[in-house]
Parts: sequence; structure tokens; C-alpha cells
Amino acid sequence: MRQNLPDDTLRQRLPIVIAGLLLVSMLLMLRLVSFQFQLDPAVTSYLESVRESGYRRTLRQAAVRGNIFDRDLQALAVNSLEYRVGISPNLVSRPRETAIRLAGIMGLDELDTFNRITSEVPWVLLSARVSAEQGRQVAELDLLGVTIEARPRRYYPQGSMAAQVVGFVGGDMQGYYGVEGFYDGQLAGREQEQMLSNIPFDVPEDRDEDRGSDIVLTIDREIQHLAESELENSVAQTNAARGNILVMDPRSGELLAMASWPTFDPNAWYEIRDDTLLQNAAINDLFEPGSLMQALTLAIALESGAFEIEDTYVDRGYIEAGGVQVQNWDRKAHGVVDLTTILVESLNVGAATVSMQMGPATFYSGLREFGIGEPTGIDLQGESPGILFVPGDEDYNDSLLLTNSFGQGVAVTPLQILAAYSAIANDGLMMQPHVFRRLLDGDEVRESSPSTLGRPISSATARQVTEMMVTALREGMGGRADLPGYTVAGTAGTAQVPTTLGYEAGTSIVSFIGFLPADDPRAIVFIRLDHPNEYWGAAVAGPIFQRMAQRLVILMNIPSDDVRRELVAAGGAVEAIQH
Amino acid sequence: MRQGVLFEHALRRSWRRQRQAVVLALLGLLLAVIVGALVYLSQAALDATTGRQLESLIAERNDIEQLNESLRAEIASLRSVPRLLQRAGELGFRLANPEDIDYVVVDQYDPRQTAVAPQIYAQLGTPAPDYDETLAGWLQQQLDAFNRQPEPLEGE
Repeated sequence: MRQNLPDDTLRQRLPIVIAGLLLVSMLLMLRLVSFQFQLDPAVTSYLESVRESGYRRTLRQAAVRGNIFDRDLQALAVNSLEYRVGISPNLVSRPRETAIRLAGIMGLDELDTFNRITSEVPWVLLSARVSAEQGRQVAELDLLGVTIEARPRRYYPQGSMAAQVVGFVGGDMQGYYGVEGFYDGQLAGREQEQMLSNIPFDVPEDRDEDRGSDIVLTIDREIQHLAESELENSVAQTNAARGNILVMDPRSGELLAMASWPTFDPNAWYEIRDDTLLQNAAINDLFEPGSLMQALTLAIALESGAFEIEDTYVDRGYIEAGGVQVQNWDRKAHGVVDLTTILVESLNVGAATVSMQMGPATFYSGLREFGIGEPTGIDLQGESPGILFVPGDEDYNDSLLLTNSFGQGVAVTPLQILAAYSAIANDGLMMQPHVFRRLLDGDEVRESSPSTLGRPISSATARQVTEMMVTALREGMGGRADLPGYTVAGTAGTAQVPTTLGYEAGTSIVSFIGFLPADDPRAIVFIRLDHPNEYWGAAVAGPIFQRMAQRLVILMNIPSDDVRRELVAAGGAVEAIQH
Repeated sequence: MRQGVLFEHALRRSWRRQRQAVVLALLGLLLAVIVGALVYLSQAALDATTGRQLESLIAERNDIEQLNESLRAEIASLRSVPRLLQRAGELGFRLANPEDIDYVVVDQYDPRQTAVAPQIYAQLGTPAPDYDETLAGWLQQQLDAFNRQPEPLEGE
């Protein structure tokens, strides 16, 4: 019919159709343009978010964690990668061969791997933790269906060395315990946001370098290794249940070694079932210090001015007060003895007599000055304050004045008692124990500066007590803790093991604290073993100190007394550990 | 009548010239738009290619950084104390005793003194970078980029 329309009619109607189409197009165009300017803001925002989610997405990434080094910049904690390997069974054409090859590389059971590969599931995990080397080998196989996902991992190249000092990083990449926990904020850095875009014209933004800060510790890994190997051998030889060895520079409060046994491997923290292993026993474990407390009692007595070093008392072998009777370890009377002899012979009666004469106010004030019953404030997670009951406390009774003087009825951490003795070694000044030495944040370096915890005793008192400790080590230990050529100050402790029913018979906690050279101490060493097969501290811990001291003078460049005095007289100066 | 025809012819000639000028102008405009569009397209393609290459380089750099971290970890592991002690023992070394060590006085040496590094004097004035680009060179560069076939990228 349309073919029969006359040309004129077509010519007349065509402009109308064109005009109509143009009008409709214009309207559509106008409507389209109106979307740009007249949309509801909520709708605009929604549409923009839809557009952005289609093409761009924001990825939140953790910054690269800072490393941890010992004082010589030997790595204690670094970053590495591990892989998570899975497979899509329906994409595997030769399951038997695939299973053999994958199991061989990843150390898996071949049959189990084959069963997984032939399972009916769309995807199956083969191994959640595969090393970087194994991951690379699996990737090189280029097998269809195998998925390899890289995951950041914290790696501790020294294994279990200083594990309880360093702590560990969990699966959530957060630091737990030790330095990892305490300095988590500095090590972790700031989380970063990265924009990922599918639009080819978007030039990818390069993330600014924002890794966590590196931390350099005061720990010397050679001294740490010495302490750990000596502790491990001693525990094995004495069948002890646990133990600690700590080495500190008393002049600065820098911890050079902090060894505890048992310990754990931070590379396999997830295999630990006993949570107490993760805690640093040197700052967390409480024990009765026993005779180690006697030197502090004598120091407080001398500092109070109520006693002179030559003062004597008559030792009858026992003393009674507050409803308890205190006896000497040998249950003997020692007659007229002076203060030094109390330390040499480790006389409980002597210590109790001194504390009785001082009175509770002076005695407990002195103990507080030494930091007993308070955390030292070391920069590690999980420090315990210890236990010290003082007059006015609900659990205090008069007998504690006697028993506390020789280390019963009071509980301390290894670090607490070490810090207290460091005041004696450092002319009466107690330094803040710490493990942080330096923070490296890009080009910025922040050094730690030594700080003090107080001055519990004067320099004169410190020298007197040091002399007493030198005599105690020389005369009271039968040469078991001596070091030829060096003047060493030291004292041993033997404590009974408290239980809920009283003290456990036939077993003890042995300990020893010594420092050298006595007149210019560079290192103070604390040793403790629980339940060793020998009872007395001098017999068990003395020789351990002796072996430690023999190695320490070499590792710390400490010459013998004669050589040191000769060097100083010739105008030289000897410094320990210059790094 | 003839005058009317002549007038009409003259008018048409004039329109034709005007129309030709308009058409030429439009053609010129069209050509300019096409050239502009091509330049824009070339530049956009170049941007996109550079962006993908940059992305690839960033990924490569990140991989290398991760590899470096792994190598550092391996080095640290190889330098652990038990391993060094074992290796030293194999090489015939033994632990020193205190009496094996001799201390000597070094004249005028004080270990407590602070070491001062020699100062490095920076050259005064920074030399200005050389710019040797020309407009012709830039145009040639754009032309080369336009003609260049897109390179296959890793991971695509």
C-alpha cells in the first residue's frame, strides 16, 4: 500500500516524522542530561558507589612489620613469606602423578594427598603452612588447579633463642608477649589503604614506604646463647624443673641476657599447649628468694645507721618472735658473729636479729626502696609485682618481720631481685632495667637513655655490702664461684618450696647473684634453678656462675684485676661491650 | 526574462561559493576533530599502557622486596650462634680462655670518646638538567607511540 503513496504525500509527511523523531530524541537527551544535574543526592551517591565498586576498590593492607635485632644488629625477628596451597580436584587430569609430586615437595602423606585430590569437593586445602622454598617449587610445577596463596609470616632466625624476651606474632599479625607485644605499636607501623582500579586509564598509585620501625635490643645474642646453653646443661645435669639466668649491666640497667627454661620456639608458637611457656618467667615467675634477701637486709640495716659493719650479736641458733621460731640452716649456734659473718655463713638468726632491731618501719621502707613488691617497669609484657606484705596489710603478721629478712614469706621475680642487687653493684644507684636500646624509623634513630629507679642505699653502704659479698663468695663457697684473677662479689640462696600445706620437704629453689669486677662491675648475673637434685644454692648455682663468669670476661672484654689496674695506671680505659 | 535567468545564475554561483566555503570549513573542522581525537586516543592509550607497565613494575618490585626479606631471614638463620660455633669448630677454632687474651694500652686512645665522622662538603650549586627535547622530537615520539603495537603484559 505504501508503495502506492504518491511522492507528494511522502514528501509532506517525512519532515513531520523526522521532526517527531528529533523531538523524542531531544526529550531523551534532555532527560539524560537532567540526570547529571537534577538527581536526588542520595541517588547520586548510591549510583556513584555502585560505579566505584564496579571499577575501584580499597584494599587495607598491614604495613611491613619492623625487624628486631640484638645489640650487634643480628636479626632476632624478621619477616618472611609462607604459602597456603590448595587444589581444585575437578581440574586435575592425572591425580596420581600430581599427588606424588605435591606430597614430595610439601612433605605430605601421598595417600592422604591423593584422597584429597580425588575428592568430590570443588576446592580442597592441601597445606596451610608451606615454606617459601616449598611454595616456589610447587609454583614451578605449574600444575593446573593448584592454588598458591602467599601469606606474610614472622620468622625468628635464631629459633628459640631469647624467645620469651622477643615474644611472637600471631596469625593476626599482632605481637604477643615480650618485645613483640610491648612494642607492637612501633613494630606494626600504620595500616595502609591502597586503591585498586580496573580502569586502564587509572595510573596505579605507588604506596609510600610506611613500614614499622626496627628495634634494636640491649640483648647480646652471644651472651644470651651462653646463658641459655649453660642453663640447659645445668637443668639437664641437676634434673631441675625450671630455671633462669639473667645478665645485666648494673651501670645502665641494660639486660644483656635473659634466659629461661623451659622455653618455646616462636616459629611454632601455635603448637604450644601450655600458655605459661609463652610468658617470660624472668619477669613473671615468683619465688621465695631465701638467703638472697640477707644482703638486702644488711644493706638496709647499714643504711639506716642503726648498725655498723663491725657490730656483733650473740647467735644462739634460734630466735623467737610473732609466734614463730627461726633457726639457722645448720640448726647450730654460732656464738658472737659480725654482720659479714651473717652473709658468709648465711645465718637466718642473724638476719632476723638485725630486722628485729631495725623494726618494721625501717625494714619495709628499705625493701620498698629496693623495689621489692613492685614491678620494675621493664619494657616487656606481663611483669608481676611480686608479693610483699607490710604492716597494715590484711595478711601481715609480726612473724613476717623475721622470716622476710632471710627471704621467706616474700616472693620476688628474678628480675626484681637482680635489679635490687644492681643497686649494690652500682654504688647504690638502682637503674631502670630495660631491653630497648635503639629504634630505627627510616632515617630517624631514637636511642634509649638510662634512667634510675632510685637510690636505696648510699655509695658508702653499697661499697660495704660489696665487700661483705666478696668475702662471702671467697670464704663461704669453698672456691665454687671464684674466678682466678678477678675480684667477684656474690651470694647464694637456698629457699624451701612453699606449698598450701607448708614447705615441701627435701627440695629447694637454689639461686645465686654475683657481679664482677667487684670494684667496677660490668656484669651482674642471676641464676636460679627449681627443684635440683642437690639442695644447697652454693653447691648447685655457684659452679654455674663460675662457668658463666669465665666466658663473660672474654665476651665482654673484661681483663683481670691486675691487667685492668695496669691499663688504667698507664692511662688506658677499659670499657665493656663497645658497640 | 534573460536578465532574471542571469541574476538567478549569479545568485546560485554566489551560494555555491559560499556553500563550498562552508563545506570546506566543515571538512577542515571535521579533520581537526579527527586529528584531535586520534591524538587524544593515542595519548590515552599511551597512558593506559604506561599505567599497566607501572603496575607490573610495582608488582615486580614488591616481589623482589619480599624475596630480599626472605633472603635476609635465610642469612640470619645461617648466622645463628649454634651454627657459627659448629662451623668454627669444623674449621679448627676453639673457645678462648681468659689467659689466652692479652690487653695492650693504645696510646692516646680513649674508648669513651665520641667518634666524629669527617664532614663531607656538598658541591655548591646544583647543575641544571639538560633539556634536549624539541617539538619535532615530541611529535615523532607521539607518532611512534601511536604506531606502536600494544605489548603483552604479564598476568594478562
